[in-house]
Amino acid sequence: MIEISHLTHIYPGSRKSPPRTAIDDLSLSIETGEFCILSGPNGSGKSTLFRILCGMALPSAGTIRIGGRDLFAEPAEARAQMAVVFQSPAVDKYLSVAENLRLHAALYGLKGGDYAARLEEAIGWTDLKDRLADKVETLSGGLARQVELAKCLLTRPAILLLDEPTTGLDPNSRRNFVEALHKIQRDRKMTVLMTSHIFSEAEDADRVAIMKDGRLLALDSPQALRAQLGHEMVVLQSRHATLLRTRIATDLGLKTRQYGDELRLEETSNGDSLPILEKLLSRYRGEIDSIAIKQPALEDVFIHLTGKTGDSEDEQLETLTR
Amino acid sequence: MIRVAFALAQREFTRFIRQPQRVVGTVAQPILFWLFLGSGFSSSFRAPGMEHISYLEYFYPGVLLMMMLFASIFSSITIIEDRDAGFLQSVLVAPVSRMAIVLGKVFGGTAIALVQTLIFTVAAPFLGLSLNAGSLVLLLGAYVLASMGFAAMGFFFAWPMRSSSGFHAIMMVFLMPLWMLSGALFPIERVPGWLHVLMNINPVAHALVLLRTPFYMTAGQAFADQRYQIALAVTVVWTAACLLGSMARVQKRDKGAALR
Repeated sequence: MIEISHLTHIYPGSRKSPPRTAIDDLSLSIETGEFCILSGPNGSGKSTLFRILCGMALPSAGTIRIGGRDLFAEPAEARAQMAVVFQSPAVDKYLSVAENLRLHAALYGLKGGDYAARLEEAIGWTDLKDRLADKVETLSGGLARQVELAKCLLTRPAILLLDEPTTGLDPNSRRNFVEALHKIQRDRKMTVLMTSHIFSEAEDADRVAIMKDGRLLALDSPQALRAQLGHEMVVLQSRHATLLRTRIATDLGLKTRQYGDELRLEETSNGDSLPILEKLLSRYRGEIDSIAIKQPALEDVFIHLTGKTGDSEDEQLETLTR
Repeated sequence: MIRVAFALAQREFTRFIRQPQRVVGTVAQPILFWLFLGSGFSSSFRAPGMEHISYLEYFYPGVLLMMMLFASIFSSITIIEDRDAGFLQSVLVAPVSRMAIVLGKVFGGTAIALVQTLIFTVAAPFLGLSLNAGSLVLLLGAYVLASMGFAAMGFFFAWPMRSSSGFHAIMMVFLMPLWMLSGALFPIERVPGWLHVLMNINPVAHALVLLRTPFYMTAGQAFADQRYQIALAVTVVWTAACLLGSMARVQKRDKGAALR
């Protein structure tokens, strides 16, 4: 449904800054009816890819085909199949829910009885039935997001693009939003491409793509990605992580990966974890602040592949403190 | 395209009406300007060839023009707000003509300017200015055309701006002087030479001619008047140029640098 091939985007430099490659020869194909999550650290090129997909920027090279239509040669036909939910709210908060929806319908040439039927259908997916006459500014963050979803559904898109749609929502609203999204996607057989930092959202996706430095690092189902890390791992925290890492390597011959003050034995085969943990604890008790055996989650895969910690946690924190 | 433009314009107008402070401010401010400046300068003002005219009367079409200027500035600032808030993205992504996006804002700004200027027109009889039916049509036409010109010009400048403080700078050093040098405050005759040149090439001065003439001429006289013809032509060209320039700006998309 979405075929991205050999896409490259270079931001033109200026006198002060050199040109920067945001997307580097990226190829990615998303099947019809697939729910795909696109993830990656800040600056990985996700947002640039998203801007290109919605037609707001033109790439340096490469092609994108949307439902068989070339996005750059036939932008109108390609875009007519898509609906987009942006990170920042694309609703007018001074207008009521109904007014916002009517305006969106007008932009897509929907009118009369056609519009009335579509409105009922789109609202059916949301909790907005009793709030149509209310101004958007009076709605909670979660409901305001649902207005955007309803707007998108009005045009019956084959493809739904979402850019970190749950940013700023509390965990409950976030879960409701993602659940509604999955339900709609299944019932309508829509293709969904959603960027997200929140890995709990990615667990139910068909496939997860992880980007870094404008390249695709991984594209697979969440199960297959988790399997890359073995089934268990030992994670320990220490104030002298670097020192401890060399000692573990020389004393025990064990290879660890370091992320800040955290050390991970990621390639532990099943059953070995507990003896290793005990061995580490008996030898280096004084240096270890905490130690645990973990089942790898998607977040651990992300950390493994991108070599970054904190990024997603920062994002979570930011989400909570907003 | 027109349907989309009207839907967008309707949104502008609804937003305007729902902010009562904005309505009061935009109607009251020019009227205060007019009463204070007009009364204050009345005793010292003698325009060449218009000795029988009080400053209150001279300044009247200038205030109409100022209303259009301010309506245009406010509606242009909403472009920057829409971009900040995120609303603009969904309009840009929609499969609509880029001209419809420009016209949506321009029609919205024009409608707001019309409300204000129509209210203010009520003051004309109290100045002893009378309008016959033909002149009134001419005047209303001038309202629409000049408001559109101002709104399109505001759009053109505001579109690439990322902050409303940046737009305030443009407003103070460019849009306000255009109005000041339009002949709204003082007549073009007997000003220093350099100012005369500036005022002559100022397109807004021609819009003012369109606003002032209907009060003193019938429609037939106006169309036969060469000065009026030139003013009409200049204003139409200026408005069209701003609309097309704005559309070109909306159409422009970020483009990646070429591969080396």
